[in-house]
Amino acid sequence: MNVQVTLPVALEKARRAAGLFLIGGIFLFCTNGSAAKPAEEAKPAGPATYVGSEACAACHDDLFKAFARNPHQVVEKVKARGWQGKACESCHGPGSKHAESVSPDDIINPAKLDAAKADRACLKCHLNQPSQANRILSVHARNDVSCVSCHTMHKHGPGGGEPGLAPRKAAVINQQCASCHSPVWAEFQRPHRHKLNENAMSCVDCHNPHGSFLPKLQKTASANEASCLKCHGDKRGPFVFEHAPVRLEGCKTCHEPHGSANPKMLTRHEVRFQCLECHANVGAAAARSGTLGGVPPAIHDLRSPRFRNCTVCHMKVHGSQVNRALLR
Amino acid sequence: MKILLALFLTLPLAALPAEPKPEEAKPAAEEKKAEAPAPAAEKNVSGSIEFGYRWVSDVQGSHETYRSLVDLEKGPRVFDVDLSMQDPSKRLFDRVDLTASGWGGEPHSSIRVDARKSGVYRLLTDYRNLAYYNFLPSFADPTMTGGTFLNQRAFDTNRRYLNADLELMPGRRIIPYLGYTHDSGFGAGITPYVSDGNEYPVRTRLRDKTDLYRGGVRVELNLFHVTLEQGATKFKDDQFVSTADRNFGNRTSTLFDQRLMLSSLSQAYGVRGDSIYSKLLLTAAPASWLDVHGQFLYSRPSSDVNYSNNARGLFALLGAVRFYNGQYDALSAESKQPHSSGSAGFELRPVKKLRIVESILTDRFHNASSAVLAEQLFFGTAATAGEQLSFASLDKLVYNFNRQQVDVIADVTSRLSLRGGHRYEWGDAQVRSGALDLRGREAGELKRQVGLAGFSFRPLRKLSLTMDYEAGAGDRSYFRTSLYDYRKIRARARYQLIPSLLVAANFTVLDNQNPTAGVKYDFQSRSNTLSIQWMPRGGKWVSLLGEYSRSTLESDLTYLDPLDRARERSFYRDNAHVASALMDINLPAAGGAKGKISLGGSMFDSRGSRPTKYYQPVGRVQLPIVKHVQWFGEWRWYGYSEPFYLYEGFRSHIFLTGLRLSL
Repeated sequence: MNVQVTLPVALEKARRAAGLFLIGGIFLFCTNGSAAKPAEEAKPAGPATYVGSEACAACHDDLFKAFARNPHQVVEKVKARGWQGKACESCHGPGSKHAESVSPDDIINPAKLDAAKADRACLKCHLNQPSQANRILSVHARNDVSCVSCHTMHKHGPGGGEPGLAPRKAAVINQQCASCHSPVWAEFQRPHRHKLNENAMSCVDCHNPHGSFLPKLQKTASANEASCLKCHGDKRGPFVFEHAPVRLEGCKTCHEPHGSANPKMLTRHEVRFQCLECHANVGAAAARSGTLGGVPPAIHDLRSPRFRNCTVCHMKVHGSQVNRALLR
Repeated sequence: MKILLALFLTLPLAALPAEPKPEEAKPAAEEKKAEAPAPAAEKNVSGSIEFGYRWVSDVQGSHETYRSLVDLEKGPRVFDVDLSMQDPSKRLFDRVDLTASGWGGEPHSSIRVDARKSGVYRLLTDYRNLAYYNFLPSFADPTMTGGTFLNQRAFDTNRRYLNADLELMPGRRIIPYLGYTHDSGFGAGITPYVSDGNEYPVRTRLRDKTDLYRGGVRVELNLFHVTLEQGATKFKDDQFVSTADRNFGNRTSTLFDQRLMLSSLSQAYGVRGDSIYSKLLLTAAPASWLDVHGQFLYSRPSSDVNYSNNARGLFALLGAVRFYNGQYDALSAESKQPHSSGSAGFELRPVKKLRIVESILTDRFHNASSAVLAEQLFFGTAATAGEQLSFASLDKLVYNFNRQQVDVIADVTSRLSLRGGHRYEWGDAQVRSGALDLRGREAGELKRQVGLAGFSFRPLRKLSLTMDYEAGAGDRSYFRTSLYDYRKIRARARYQLIPSLLVAANFTVLDNQNPTAGVKYDFQSRSNTLSIQWMPRGGKWVSLLGEYSRSTLESDLTYLDPLDRARERSFYRDNAHVASALMDINLPAAGGAKGKISLGGSMFDSRGSRPTKYYQPVGRVQLPIVKHVQWFGEWRWYGYSEPFYLYEGFRSHIFLTGLRLSL
């Protein structure tokens, strides 16, 4: 019992400490707005100097050719980015020492760096882009899943049988995500699921691997709505009579979007349990629990098949424009 | 859309080098020479196209379930297209990437085109057409005990989705962009018409459409980035229900010696909606040790509703113990839902090996609606012998959610990172209460303190271990099945045993309990997954990808029987074995090209509340015919069975053969 009392107190203290961090962070932001620029960070430390991409091509001809078709080629060409003719060294650092010694120890290889360090190399250019707007909220960033875990820097790109910088084909994207998220891919082997196995959809249709405002890296639609509504526009509403769980906790309250053994990807095998597990608040216990869900309906005799599938009558279960009991 | 596909398939022709005019030829050659990295012998078109024919054996068992789960039919098909085109003259585009799958009558078709011209534009378009067929009697069939197998919530519909994003001056500091998204659904289905004491399954037609237009500008500078976007949506949803057939509904018994019935019905829903939204994103790197982000999102969807219902037959008013012969309803309603969201945060790196990530988020909206319903009941056959009623109702839903989270990530050594953090979630909601709840409205509250911990450990270059632990102490939650007192563990290990063999294991647990009296919710799910990737000699001859997953789910919860309010326990169990594998065997090269044999498939076998078996073995042979042309043949078997619902099982063989053209 003591543990239950003290744990929230400890957590509350941690929360206050976090608040102090936030205030401190804002202060630092205000007082250091003109601090060191990223360009300065890229200055060579030590004797190594920039030698240009042509020098790299002398030995790494295959990578050099492949890179010519890579979207990162723009770094090589566009003067405004500050790396014209030095695209290789924009990620690998100055290469004069490496060019002389040919030793891998004398060059930065982001693929072999710690995730955080490898990411800094990418974020030098990509931090201030909309794709990174939710990076801080991303579980990938927190768990040291670096950019190079998913992005291949030197490949040709889509087509020609190579996955490329960022895979475009649904099958390739799904395979890439499944290589880490194997339990999720196992869920897609269940009978009732979204059509990923048919290559009609990919993981990134619903999730933004760079981070999202919503939990589970879920993409947003129309600014701040769940990505489910991108395709299921008929469930968007607003409805005259809303069904609260749809709005408060989202589709996952009742559905397993990755796959289920139950029809309609429901989380329960029979609709009556799906509904009655929430619609069961009565009396003092309900007041104590403080949960929503209302009282259970009257006159419904579950022994009769007519009342076992609530959605036969309460068909507008995502929200109704006509009837408060969601009957029409 | 087939014309569109044909257009895209002929795009390679546009990419072929045009006959240059003599005076143009020289400067183009010089320009190419100046771009040193461009390989000299680059192909203008590369990729592959797969097309052929599919045969489907007679489906043994339930064809309705087959269509609900698989839905593949026989016929000629374009299975897969993956093309990259480069225009050497760089007039219209530098490069176009086209991927497409499932054309020519497939239930799931998609095409994606990514065209770009460096520094000028990037146009990304994505189109899908997904058939949605769902007819599973076990889902909703009150007449099943009478031997009638009918799903009263069945659908035979299509959903179409089109998205186009045009980015101007990509790669520059200021990037304007425009976008359009179209989402629509249409088709037929079965839906019940509900009246007191009976419900009548009738045919329905559905059609909905949403158009989203958006435009914005991105400003990407070294120190900060800002994105401003404005968008608007138009939405309409029309549903029609009609029948002129006599329908006795699901009620098998008489009511006071009268047989309730529906003789005709005409019902129409007309919903028109619109919304505007605004989006502001900000990222900044004011110092090398500080990243900041923030965003503000606002949308304001609204709906206008017109509904009419005209039903004839014999119906009952159970409350008044009266019968009536017709009902006419007309409803006019509107609803609005302003929705504001925002977040802000920073990543602070005070010392080299320490990162502090703090974020705060808020999401709040309210839904306000009003409706006026005019209802007329007819007694007898005369239209004038009616009783007119009208109802007005107001409804409201309020939702406020907040979350604050801080994480501290320390790179203790180059091989070990530790994470710790805390999340606090709080909010409140007001919703309409159930019909029998005299309060009229319910208020809910959310308060949850969550501790976070984890590590990433790389003791060897070939071995990595990661773990995340999350424990939440609930004080208030919105629903009985919401997270309350819970712990969540995710662990993952990857080990490169030998250069050709990679083994990975995943372990996840979610344990959630709500001990509140009257709830007594006890939920636990576990999943253990082992996967291997075996590629001897880099997969030159053989490669194997395999995965086995064992998952269990147990859920116990108290609920009330609606009839007598007796406390009952709802038990849900799901114990599943899932395995999938694919072995590729490369055949010796003949004529410069290699053939391939692939064997594998997936199996799902679950026990518990809804035992299910679903097997999908597959075999494929791919042989070169001439250079750039390969023949392939594929066999796939679908086997589905449910012991509790034997009438829903099915088995089917599917064969396909075709050619793969490599460009």
